Amino acid sequence: MLPKVETLTTIDSTNAEAKRRAGSSQRGPIWLRAETQTAGVGRSGRSWYSPKGNLYATFLTPFAGEMQDAALMSFVACLAVAETLDGYIGSGGANRVTLKWPNDALLDGKKVAGVLLEAGGEQHARWLAVGIGINLIDKPTDARWPPIALGEVTEVPAAAEVLTTLAQNFDQLQSRFETEGFKPIRTAWLARAARLGERIEARLTTETLTGIFKDITEDGALLLATDDGDKRITAADIHFP
Amino acid sequence: MNNNKTDADIAFVRALAQILNENNLGEIEVEREFGEDDELKVRLSRSAPAAVQTAAPSPVVSAPAAVTPSPSVPVEPDAAPAVDAAAVPSPMVGTVYLAPEPDAENFVKVGDTVTQGQTILIVEAMKTMNQIPAPRSGTVTNILVEDGEPVEFNSPLMLIS
Repeated sequence: MLPKVETLTTIDSTNAEAKRRAGSSQRGPIWLRAETQTAGVGRSGRSWYSPKGNLYATFLTPFAGEMQDAALMSFVACLAVAETLDGYIGSGGANRVTLKWPNDALLDGKKVAGVLLEAGGEQHARWLAVGIGINLIDKPTDARWPPIALGEVTEVPAAAEVLTTLAQNFDQLQSRFETEGFKPIRTAWLARAARLGERIEARLTTETLTGIFKDITEDGALLLATDDGDKRITAADIHFP
Repeated sequence: MNNNKTDADIAFVRALAQILNENNLGEIEVEREFGEDDELKVRLSRSAPAAVQTAAPSPVVSAPAAVTPSPSVPVEPDAAPAVDAAAVPSPMVGTVYLAPEPDAENFVKVGDTVTQGQTILIVEAMKTMNQIPAPRSGTVTNILVEDGEPVEFNSPLMLIS
Protein backbone atom coordinates (compact mmCIF):
# COMPACT_ATOMS: atom_id res chain seq x y z
CA MET A 1 0.00 0.00 0.00
CA LEU A 2 1.28 3.42 -0.90
CA PRO A 3 1.89 6.00 1.81
CA LYS A 4 -0.85 8.49 2.54
CA VAL A 5 -0.91 11.86 0.74
CA GLU A 6 -1.81 15.00 2.63
CA THR A 7 -2.69 18.13 0.66
CA LEU A 8 -1.96 21.58 2.05
CA THR A 9 -3.42 24.66 0.40
CA THR A 10 -0.42 26.81 1.11
CA ILE A 11 2.70 26.39 3.23
CA ASP A 12 6.14 28.00 3.55
CA SER A 13 7.73 24.91 2.01
CA THR A 14 6.85 21.24 2.09
CA ASN A 15 10.37 20.42 3.30
CA ALA A 16 10.03 22.91 6.15
CA GLU A 17 6.68 21.35 7.12
CA ALA A 18 8.21 17.86 6.94
CA LYS A 19 11.06 18.95 9.23
CA ARG A 20 8.64 20.46 11.75
CA ARG A 21 6.69 17.20 11.83
CA ALA A 22 9.84 15.12 12.16
CA GLY A 23 10.83 17.37 15.04
CA SER A 24 7.60 16.49 16.83
CA SER A 25 8.07 12.75 16.27
CA GLN A 26 5.74 12.46 13.27
CA ARG A 27 8.15 10.89 10.82
CA GLY A 28 5.64 9.44 8.36
CA PRO A 29 5.79 7.76 5.92
CA ILE A 30 3.64 10.43 4.31
CA TRP A 31 3.63 12.55 1.17
CA LEU A 32 2.96 16.22 1.85
CA ARG A 33 1.79 18.21 -1.17
CA ALA A 34 1.20 21.94 -1.23
CA GLU A 35 -0.75 23.80 -3.89
CA THR A 36 1.52 26.79 -3.43
CA GLN A 37 4.61 27.54 -1.36
CA THR A 38 5.42 30.94 0.08
CA ALA A 39 9.08 30.10 0.71
CA GLY A 40 9.98 27.19 -1.56
CA VAL A 41 13.66 26.31 -1.30
CA GLY A 42 16.39 24.86 -3.46
CA ARG A 43 20.04 24.14 -2.70
CA SER A 44 22.04 26.71 -0.70
CA GLY A 45 18.90 28.47 0.48
CA ARG A 46 17.94 29.53 -3.06
CA SER A 47 14.25 30.07 -3.59
CA TRP A 48 12.09 27.73 -5.65
CA TYR A 49 9.44 29.34 -7.86
CA SER A 50 6.14 28.02 -6.48
CA PRO A 51 2.99 29.31 -8.21
CA LYS A 52 -0.25 27.36 -8.14
CA GLY A 53 -0.47 24.53 -10.69
CA ASN A 54 3.04 23.06 -10.38
CA LEU A 55 3.91 20.14 -8.15
CA TYR A 56 5.50 20.70 -4.73
CA ALA A 57 5.73 17.62 -2.58
CA THR A 58 7.88 16.11 0.15
CA PHE A 59 8.04 12.48 1.10
CA LEU A 60 8.75 12.19 4.82
CA THR A 61 9.80 8.79 6.11
CA PRO A 62 11.64 7.15 8.98
CA PHE A 63 15.07 6.15 7.72
CA ALA A 64 16.94 3.32 9.38
CA GLY A 65 19.92 3.20 7.02
CA GLU A 66 23.34 4.76 7.38
CA MET A 67 23.58 8.51 6.83
CA GLN A 68 25.63 7.95 3.71
CA ASP A 69 22.77 5.89 2.26
CA ALA A 70 20.32 8.75 2.71
CA ALA A 71 22.37 10.56 0.08
CA LEU A 72 21.76 7.72 -2.38
CA MET A 73 18.02 8.29 -2.10
CA SER A 74 18.78 11.41 -4.11
CA PHE A 75 19.18 9.21 -7.20
CA VAL A 76 16.08 7.16 -6.37
CA ALA A 77 14.07 10.38 -6.21
CA CYS A 78 15.22 11.88 -9.50
CA LEU A 79 14.75 8.59 -11.34
CA ALA A 80 11.17 8.50 -10.05
CA VAL A 81 10.70 12.01 -11.41
CA ALA A 82 12.21 11.04 -14.78
CA GLU A 83 10.02 7.95 -15.15
CA THR A 84 6.96 10.01 -14.25
CA LEU A 85 7.79 12.60 -16.91
CA ASP A 86 8.46 9.84 -19.48
CA GLY A 87 4.94 8.58 -18.99
CA TYR A 88 3.36 11.93 -19.82
CA ILE A 89 5.65 12.73 -22.74
CA GLY A 90 4.95 9.37 -24.38
CA SER A 91 7.17 7.85 -27.02
CA GLY A 92 10.73 9.13 -26.93
CA GLY A 93 10.26 10.47 -23.42
CA ALA A 94 13.19 8.58 -22.02
CA ASN A 95 15.50 10.23 -24.56
CA ARG A 96 14.26 13.70 -23.80
CA VAL A 97 14.45 13.51 -20.01
CA THR A 98 18.03 13.51 -18.75
CA LEU A 99 19.53 13.91 -15.29
CA LYS A 100 22.10 16.45 -14.21
CA TRP A 101 24.21 15.33 -11.25
CA PRO A 102 23.06 14.66 -8.71
CA ASN A 103 19.31 15.02 -9.09
CA ASP A 104 18.04 17.72 -11.44
CA ALA A 105 15.68 16.51 -14.17
CA LEU A 106 16.17 18.16 -17.57
CA LEU A 107 13.65 18.07 -20.38
CA ASP A 108 15.23 18.80 -23.77
CA GLY A 109 18.22 20.09 -21.82
CA LYS A 110 16.20 22.55 -19.73
CA LYS A 111 15.45 22.23 -16.03
CA VAL A 112 11.96 20.85 -15.42
CA ALA A 113 12.31 19.53 -11.85
CA GLY A 114 14.51 19.76 -8.79
CA VAL A 115 15.01 17.57 -5.77
CA LEU A 116 16.33 18.52 -2.34
CA LEU A 117 16.68 15.98 0.45
CA GLU A 118 17.09 16.67 4.13
CA ALA A 119 17.79 14.15 6.86
CA GLY A 120 18.18 14.32 10.59
CA GLY A 121 17.30 12.91 13.99
CA GLU A 122 19.17 10.78 16.43
CA GLN A 123 20.24 7.23 15.65
CA HIS A 124 17.05 5.56 16.89
CA ALA A 125 14.74 8.13 15.30
CA ARG A 126 16.26 9.17 12.01
CA TRP A 127 14.08 10.65 9.30
CA LEU A 128 14.44 11.56 5.66
CA ALA A 129 12.56 14.27 3.76
CA VAL A 130 12.63 14.04 -0.03
CA GLY A 131 11.47 17.34 -1.49
CA ILE A 132 10.45 17.39 -5.16
CA GLY A 133 9.37 20.31 -7.32
CA ILE A 134 8.18 19.84 -10.92
CA ASN A 135 7.37 22.71 -13.30
CA LEU A 136 4.07 21.46 -14.72
CA ILE A 137 2.41 24.53 -16.20
CA ASP A 138 4.66 27.40 -15.20
CA LYS A 139 8.39 28.12 -14.89
CA PRO A 140 10.56 30.79 -13.32
CA THR A 141 11.74 33.74 -15.38
CA ASP A 142 14.97 34.37 -13.49
CA ALA A 143 16.37 30.87 -13.15
CA ARG A 144 20.11 30.15 -13.05
CA TRP A 145 19.56 27.30 -15.48
CA PRO A 146 17.25 27.61 -18.57
CA PRO A 147 13.87 26.38 -17.31
CA ILE A 148 10.98 24.58 -18.98
CA ALA A 149 7.51 23.46 -17.93
CA LEU A 150 6.18 20.03 -18.86
CA GLY A 151 3.11 21.79 -20.28
CA GLU A 152 5.25 23.22 -23.09
CA VAL A 153 5.68 19.79 -24.64
CA THR A 154 2.58 17.85 -23.66
CA GLU A 155 -0.82 18.03 -22.06
CA VAL A 156 -0.40 18.05 -18.31
CA PRO A 157 -2.69 16.51 -15.70
CA ALA A 158 -3.39 18.12 -12.32
CA ALA A 159 -0.57 18.17 -9.78
CA ALA A 160 -2.44 15.74 -7.49
CA GLU A 161 -2.62 13.19 -10.28
CA VAL A 162 1.06 13.61 -11.13
CA LEU A 163 1.91 12.98 -7.49
CA THR A 164 -0.03 9.70 -7.53
CA THR A 165 2.14 8.48 -10.42
CA LEU A 166 5.30 9.87 -8.86
CA ALA A 167 4.56 8.17 -5.52
CA GLN A 168 4.10 4.81 -7.30
CA ASN A 169 7.35 5.16 -9.23
CA PHE A 170 9.18 6.29 -6.12
CA ASP A 171 7.87 3.35 -4.13
CA GLN A 172 9.01 0.83 -6.76
CA LEU A 173 12.47 2.35 -7.05
CA GLN A 174 12.86 2.59 -3.29
CA SER A 175 11.95 -1.11 -2.92
CA ARG A 176 14.52 -1.93 -5.56
CA PHE A 177 17.15 0.12 -3.73
CA GLU A 178 16.33 -1.64 -0.46
CA THR A 179 16.49 -5.14 -1.93
CA GLU A 180 19.20 -4.82 -4.59
CA GLY A 181 21.26 -1.90 -3.34
CA PHE A 182 22.56 1.08 -5.28
CA LYS A 183 23.88 -0.86 -8.28
CA PRO A 184 20.71 -0.97 -10.44
CA ILE A 185 19.84 2.60 -9.43
CA ARG A 186 23.30 3.78 -10.45
CA THR A 187 23.02 1.97 -13.80
CA ALA A 188 19.61 3.49 -14.52
CA TRP A 189 20.86 6.92 -13.52
CA LEU A 190 23.97 6.69 -15.72
CA ALA A 191 21.80 5.70 -18.70
CA ARG A 192 20.14 9.12 -18.40
CA ALA A 193 23.13 11.15 -17.28
CA ALA A 194 23.48 14.50 -19.01
CA ARG A 195 26.98 15.21 -20.43
CA LEU A 196 28.53 11.93 -19.33
CA GLY A 197 31.99 11.73 -20.94
CA GLU A 198 31.91 15.44 -21.73
CA ARG A 199 33.47 18.55 -20.23
CA ILE A 200 31.52 20.02 -17.31
CA GLU A 201 32.11 22.59 -14.62
CA ALA A 202 31.60 21.83 -10.91
CA ARG A 203 31.14 24.90 -8.73
CA LEU A 204 32.04 23.94 -5.17
CA THR A 205 31.76 26.27 -2.20
CA THR A 206 35.50 26.79 -2.18
CA GLU A 207 36.53 26.45 -5.84
CA THR A 208 35.37 25.75 -9.38
CA LEU A 209 36.68 22.66 -11.14
CA THR A 210 36.39 21.76 -14.81
CA GLY A 211 37.03 18.39 -16.34
CA ILE A 212 35.51 15.40 -18.02
CA PHE A 213 32.49 13.86 -16.29
CA LYS A 214 33.81 10.27 -16.07
CA ASP A 215 31.40 8.41 -13.85
CA ILE A 216 29.58 8.34 -10.56
CA THR A 217 31.15 6.29 -7.80
CA GLU A 218 29.49 3.52 -5.80
CA ASP A 219 28.56 6.07 -3.19
CA GLY A 220 27.09 8.48 -5.70
CA ALA A 221 29.94 11.00 -5.88
CA LEU A 222 30.72 12.63 -9.21
CA LEU A 223 34.04 11.55 -10.68
CA LEU A 224 35.64 14.41 -12.57
CA ALA A 225 38.84 13.94 -14.59
CA THR A 226 40.70 17.23 -14.25
CA ASP A 227 44.18 18.30 -15.33
CA ASP A 228 45.24 17.55 -11.73
CA GLY A 229 43.85 14.02 -11.83
CA ASP A 230 40.49 12.53 -10.87
CA LYS A 231 38.41 14.40 -8.29
CA ARG A 232 35.58 12.88 -6.29
CA ILE A 233 32.88 15.50 -5.75
CA THR A 234 30.04 15.16 -3.24
CA ALA A 235 28.58 18.66 -3.27
CA ALA A 236 28.57 21.18 -6.12
CA ASP A 237 26.46 23.00 -8.68
CA ILE A 238 27.10 21.52 -12.10
CA HIS A 239 27.25 23.72 -15.19
CA PHE A 240 27.81 22.88 -18.83
CA PRO A 241 30.41 25.25 -20.31
CA MET B 1 40.68 14.57 -1.64
CA ASN B 2 44.12 14.02 -0.16
CA ASN B 3 44.35 17.68 0.67
CA ASN B 4 41.08 17.50 2.56
CA LYS B 5 42.36 14.62 4.60
CA THR B 6 45.49 16.60 5.39
CA ASP B 7 43.40 19.60 6.44
CA ALA B 8 41.33 17.40 8.73
CA ASP B 9 44.52 15.97 10.24
CA ILE B 10 45.92 19.44 10.79
CA ALA B 11 42.71 20.48 12.51
CA PHE B 12 42.88 17.38 14.67
CA VAL B 13 46.50 18.02 15.69
CA ARG B 14 45.67 21.65 16.39
CA ALA B 15 42.86 20.55 18.70
CA LEU B 16 45.25 18.21 20.49
CA ALA B 17 47.71 21.04 20.97
CA GLN B 18 44.96 23.13 22.50
CA ILE B 19 44.05 20.37 24.94
CA LEU B 20 47.73 20.03 25.79
CA ASN B 21 47.99 23.72 26.65
CA GLU B 22 44.69 24.01 28.47
CA ASN B 23 45.45 21.11 30.76
CA ASN B 24 49.15 21.78 31.31
CA LEU B 25 50.08 18.47 29.76
CA GLY B 26 53.56 17.66 28.51
CA GLU B 27 52.75 14.94 26.04
CA ILE B 28 49.82 13.49 24.17
CA GLU B 29 50.27 10.32 22.20
CA VAL B 30 47.43 9.34 19.87
CA GLU B 31 47.03 6.30 17.70
CA ARG B 32 44.02 6.29 15.44
CA GLU B 33 42.91 3.53 13.12
CA PHE B 34 40.07 3.90 10.66
CA GLY B 35 38.24 0.81 9.59
CA GLU B 36 35.37 -1.36 10.66
CA ASP B 37 36.36 -1.10 14.28
CA ASP B 38 37.58 2.43 14.58
CA GLU B 39 40.19 2.55 17.25
CA LEU B 40 41.51 5.47 19.19
CA LYS B 41 44.35 5.02 21.68
CA VAL B 42 45.41 7.97 23.75
CA ARG B 43 48.18 8.36 26.31
CA LEU B 44 48.50 11.54 28.33
CA SER B 45 51.52 12.59 30.32
CA ARG B 46 52.22 15.67 32.36
CA SER B 47 56.01 15.67 32.21
CA ALA B 48 57.48 16.69 28.91
CA PRO B 49 60.65 14.89 27.75
CA ALA B 50 62.67 18.08 28.29
CA ALA B 51 61.59 18.28 31.92
CA VAL B 52 62.64 14.70 32.51
CA GLN B 53 66.08 15.51 31.19
CA THR B 54 66.40 18.38 33.63
CA ALA B 55 65.58 16.05 36.43
CA ALA B 56 67.93 13.33 35.36
CA PRO B 57 71.27 14.75 36.65
CA SER B 58 69.98 14.95 40.21
CA PRO B 59 70.25 11.53 41.86
CA VAL B 60 67.93 12.41 44.73
CA VAL B 61 64.85 13.28 42.70
CA SER B 62 62.23 10.72 43.38
CA ALA B 63 59.75 10.98 40.52
CA PRO B 64 59.93 12.77 37.18
CA ALA B 65 56.28 13.64 37.46
CA ALA B 66 57.08 15.93 40.36
CA VAL B 67 59.21 18.14 38.14
CA THR B 68 56.30 19.97 36.56
CA PRO B 69 53.75 20.38 39.29
CA SER B 70 50.40 21.57 38.05
CA PRO B 71 47.74 21.00 40.63
CA SER B 72 44.84 22.41 38.63
CA VAL B 73 43.89 19.34 36.61
CA PRO B 74 44.49 15.88 37.98
CA VAL B 75 45.61 13.72 35.08
CA GLU B 76 46.41 10.06 35.50
CA PRO B 77 48.87 8.61 33.01
CA ASP B 78 46.92 6.49 30.52
CA ALA B 79 43.72 7.91 31.93
CA ALA B 80 40.52 8.08 29.90
CA PRO B 81 41.33 10.63 27.23
CA ALA B 82 39.68 13.98 26.79
CA VAL B 83 40.20 13.66 23.02
CA ASP B 84 38.27 10.45 22.64
CA ALA B 85 35.40 11.76 24.65
CA ALA B 86 35.21 15.20 23.09
CA ALA B 87 35.59 14.70 19.34
CA VAL B 88 32.49 14.41 17.17
CA PRO B 89 33.43 12.36 14.09
CA SER B 90 31.76 12.90 10.73
CA PRO B 91 29.30 10.08 10.07
CA MET B 92 29.71 10.50 6.32
CA VAL B 93 31.69 11.87 3.40
CA GLY B 94 30.48 15.26 2.22
CA THR B 95 30.69 19.02 2.58
CA VAL B 96 30.19 20.76 5.90
CA TYR B 97 27.89 23.72 6.52
CA LEU B 98 27.98 25.46 9.86
CA ALA B 99 24.73 27.36 9.22
CA PRO B 100 21.29 26.21 7.99
CA GLU B 101 21.72 28.38 4.89
CA PRO B 102 24.21 30.94 3.57
CA ASP B 103 24.13 34.20 5.57
CA ALA B 104 22.19 32.59 8.41
CA GLU B 105 23.64 32.36 11.90
CA ASN B 106 25.73 29.26 12.64
CA PHE B 107 24.02 26.37 14.42
CA VAL B 108 26.55 26.60 17.28
CA LYS B 109 29.68 28.52 18.23
CA VAL B 110 32.57 27.81 20.58
CA GLY B 111 31.42 28.17 24.17
CA ASP B 112 27.80 27.24 23.43
CA THR B 113 26.07 24.69 25.59
CA VAL B 114 24.38 22.03 23.47
CA THR B 115 21.93 19.30 24.34
CA GLN B 116 22.09 15.80 22.94
CA GLY B 117 20.26 15.57 19.62
CA GLN B 118 20.54 19.26 18.83
CA THR B 119 21.70 19.95 15.26
CA ILE B 120 25.31 21.17 15.34
CA LEU B 121 26.02 21.32 11.60
CA ILE B 122 25.02 19.93 8.22
CA VAL B 123 26.96 17.57 5.99
CA GLU B 124 25.82 17.66 2.37
CA ALA B 125 26.31 14.81 -0.05
CA MET B 126 24.47 14.43 -3.38
CA LYS B 127 22.15 17.33 -2.52
CA THR B 128 21.10 15.57 0.66
CA MET B 129 21.43 17.85 3.66
CA ASN B 130 22.18 15.69 6.69
CA GLN B 131 21.61 17.46 9.97
CA ILE B 132 24.23 16.12 12.36
CA PRO B 133 22.92 15.84 15.93
CA ALA B 134 25.09 16.46 18.99
CA PRO B 135 26.00 12.96 20.24
CA ARG B 136 25.84 14.19 23.84
CA SER B 137 25.09 17.26 25.90
CA GLY B 138 28.00 19.53 26.77
CA THR B 139 29.97 22.59 25.77
CA VAL B 140 31.40 23.22 22.32
CA THR B 141 35.11 23.73 22.98
CA ASN B 142 36.34 23.78 19.40
CA ILE B 143 35.03 23.71 15.84
CA LEU B 144 37.53 21.87 13.67
CA VAL B 145 36.01 22.47 10.23
CA GLU B 146 35.26 25.51 8.12
CA ASP B 147 32.04 26.30 6.34
CA GLY B 148 32.00 24.67 2.90
CA GLU B 149 34.93 22.37 3.68
CA PRO B 150 34.84 18.79 2.35
CA VAL B 151 35.13 16.12 5.06
CA GLU B 152 35.88 12.42 5.04
CA PHE B 153 34.17 9.66 7.00
CA ASN B 154 35.22 9.91 10.66
CA SER B 155 37.00 13.28 10.32
CA PRO B 156 36.69 15.13 13.64
CA LEU B 157 34.15 17.94 13.21
CA MET B 158 33.90 19.50 16.62
CA LEU B 159 34.89 19.03 20.24
CA ILE B 160 32.05 18.79 22.74
CA SER B 161 33.11 18.16 26.32
